[in-house]
Amino acid sequence: MSGSGPNLPDRLERILGRMVDASTRERILISFASLALALAVGAVLLLLSGAVATCESPFLTLGGTQFCYNPIEVYRVMLNGAIGSPYSLGLTLRETTLLILAGVAVAVTFQAGIFNIGTQGQFIFGGLAGAAAVQYTASLVPANAIGGLVLFAFGMLVAGLAGALYGALPGVLLAYYDANEVITTIMLNFIAGAVAFTAVRSFLREGAAVQTALIPDHAVPPAILFPEASSFSVLIFIPTLLIAVGAHYMLKNSTLGYNIRLSGEQPAAAEYSGVDAKRVIVRTFTLSGLLGGLAGGVFVFMVLGYWQPSVPQVGFDGITVSVLAANNPLGVIPAAALFGVIKSGAIALDLTLGVPRQLAGVLRGIIILFVAMPEFMRMIGRNLGLGDSSSTAPAGTEANDD
Amino acid sequence: MIESERLTRRRIGLLAIAVLLVGGLLATPYRSELIGILGVGFFNTALTLSVPITLAGVGGLYAEKSGVINIGIEGLLIAGAFTSVLVTGISVDAVGAGSAVWLGMLAAVVVSTLGALLFGVICIRYKADQIIAGLAVWFVFLGLAPFFSRVYWGQINSPTVATFSEVPIPVLSEIPVLGRILFTNYPTTYLMLVIVPVAWYVLKFTSFGMWVRASGEHPEALDTAGVNVNRVRYISIMISGALSGIGGSALTLSTVGQFIGQGQTIVSGDGFIGIVAYLMGNYNPLATFGAAALFAGLDAYQVRMQQIGLDIAPELFGAIPYAAVIVVLVLFGYTRIPERAGENYESGDE
Repeated sequence: MSGSGPNLPDRLERILGRMVDASTRERILISFASLALALAVGAVLLLLSGAVATCESPFLTLGGTQFCYNPIEVYRVMLNGAIGSPYSLGLTLRETTLLILAGVAVAVTFQAGIFNIGTQGQFIFGGLAGAAAVQYTASLVPANAIGGLVLFAFGMLVAGLAGALYGALPGVLLAYYDANEVITTIMLNFIAGAVAFTAVRSFLREGAAVQTALIPDHAVPPAILFPEASSFSVLIFIPTLLIAVGAHYMLKNSTLGYNIRLSGEQPAAAEYSGVDAKRVIVRTFTLSGLLGGLAGGVFVFMVLGYWQPSVPQVGFDGITVSVLAANNPLGVIPAAALFGVIKSGAIALDLTLGVPRQLAGVLRGIIILFVAMPEFMRMIGRNLGLGDSSSTAPAGTEANDD
Repeated sequence: MIESERLTRRRIGLLAIAVLLVGGLLATPYRSELIGILGVGFFNTALTLSVPITLAGVGGLYAEKSGVINIGIEGLLIAGAFTSVLVTGISVDAVGAGSAVWLGMLAAVVVSTLGALLFGVICIRYKADQIIAGLAVWFVFLGLAPFFSRVYWGQINSPTVATFSEVPIPVLSEIPVLGRILFTNYPTTYLMLVIVPVAWYVLKFTSFGMWVRASGEHPEALDTAGVNVNRVRYISIMISGALSGIGGSALTLSTVGQFIGQGQTIVSGDGFIGIVAYLMGNYNPLATFGAAALFAGLDAYQVRMQQIGLDIAPELFGAIPYAAVIVVLVLFGYTRIPERAGENYESGDE
């Protein structure tokens, strides 16, 4: 992606230039550059940590120091492990589905200038509520395709509603009690974890392990095109893509979307033009919570097949995805795909080369670090003689400033 | 006028909730056990638990007072917690357990300070959005610590290493009750008990403290007075890093002697609670310590409640401190952040 001279970026810029305006174009370039730089920093990190790790066959020995990890080999195995076979591609798309939902959930609030860290809590409650709904109602419907569809639809509905309600809470607290949303959403994440653990342990547990009952097979969306073992269904993936596209058009064309963006970009102007700021805040949060809850539902129905307290940090990954996508729901799709590749690639890496899968988390942090520094990117760009400096000053900051 | 009336109503509301909660607890059949928890040992534990929260809070307060919101404190605590265990484990054979823990703490301070400096450069030199950059700092260390754990120890949790031991202070530890609570404790706890009043004094009465406050409120005025605003901000951010380093090492080296890398690591939110503590303490180090001690007390209390075997699901009590934060924030959510916090300052002559 990097290192092929000025031609590729130039051409890329020309192609993209027809599609998007200057500031969006700059954001896209910054995202790509961040990824390239993060991979470079990650390579150095792999080299250094490979000198500390112990292994049987180091790839390089320099002056008595053995280097265990070959960065190029690592990235190759990662990519291959993420998209090399229908099975691994299914795993990657499975991650991508969750990340698109979580990413769009975060993006709508960021567009309103709200800093929402609460998607993880809504994800937890959505998943829990979806699993509980099925556990209590599975015996009431026939065990066939139609009954399964009913169960699935009902479970997802409950998951979305639970997420929406839990999402509305910090919205109300911010709008009517002026309670800082960064803090309330972080606290609500911790509370969701504790409450969900208690709920499963005390009320929903079946058997020895702290987990809910299995989702009946007929309510699990069928795996088509991809092997069943990858727990990925195109029937979930396509609606998820539509949600991202829908969110984009909602933000662009609907009244609520206009108000959300106006509140984010020009809060004062929004007030003057008669936007009810409090209502917009609550609605934005509710919408975001709905999407976070749906992500939880997808996790339960498609990925795990039940709910248990230690769930992955999908909500936090959603923040990363949204930031990388400059909070644009359409941009969330490629950003989520990228993180899907990194995450499932890292797992394959762990199994094949023994490089800790936690590498994915490190790359996540470094990417965001670079995305946070548009100024740094412009400096590098100027030093390399890339791009024009005309569209620089305010472009990178406008999306995230409050 | 209206503001203060609202405040009074909120205070009454808070008091009512507190009375209800205490009353509710006392009405249970576990009355005597619940009161019995509040012994000397309980307060001693609460004080120990308050160390990372307080130090994170006081550090974060300095950064924010100077105009830089440091939401990456959680990450800096993780860096400190990991480094202290790593260095203590490495150096214990060479220098012995007694010195190794101090080396561990020192290394934690160095690493967390460097991490904070990196954050400072990103925010000040490269004008990053402070919230996003702070999150990035959290994510980086949340990833790095378990990654290095796996690389170095082959597993996500470290083996146990040497720890600080409780050092009774001569004479003072003989004082009944207070001697056990305050003066029979870990060195890191004593450090905190010294740092808090010093931080308060420095912020309030020294010229450096005045610069920090001015840097967050009226950077132009500070600039005009010939003080380099960004240098003040860099120093304040590095203070937040150094204190997080001590806090992180207190978390691992004072009791468990282990780094746990699962989930959100052993730090599990202490940095964020620290941020809440200084907001509740209205940027006053002494009040920040008070708020941190309150959270730590609630935390210690729920642990003890589980031990006496209340048949209500005990994990739920783990959520009490977090819920308390929200209640307090709703009732007292009026904290005024420094005028220019979150903004970059560009001096005219650079």
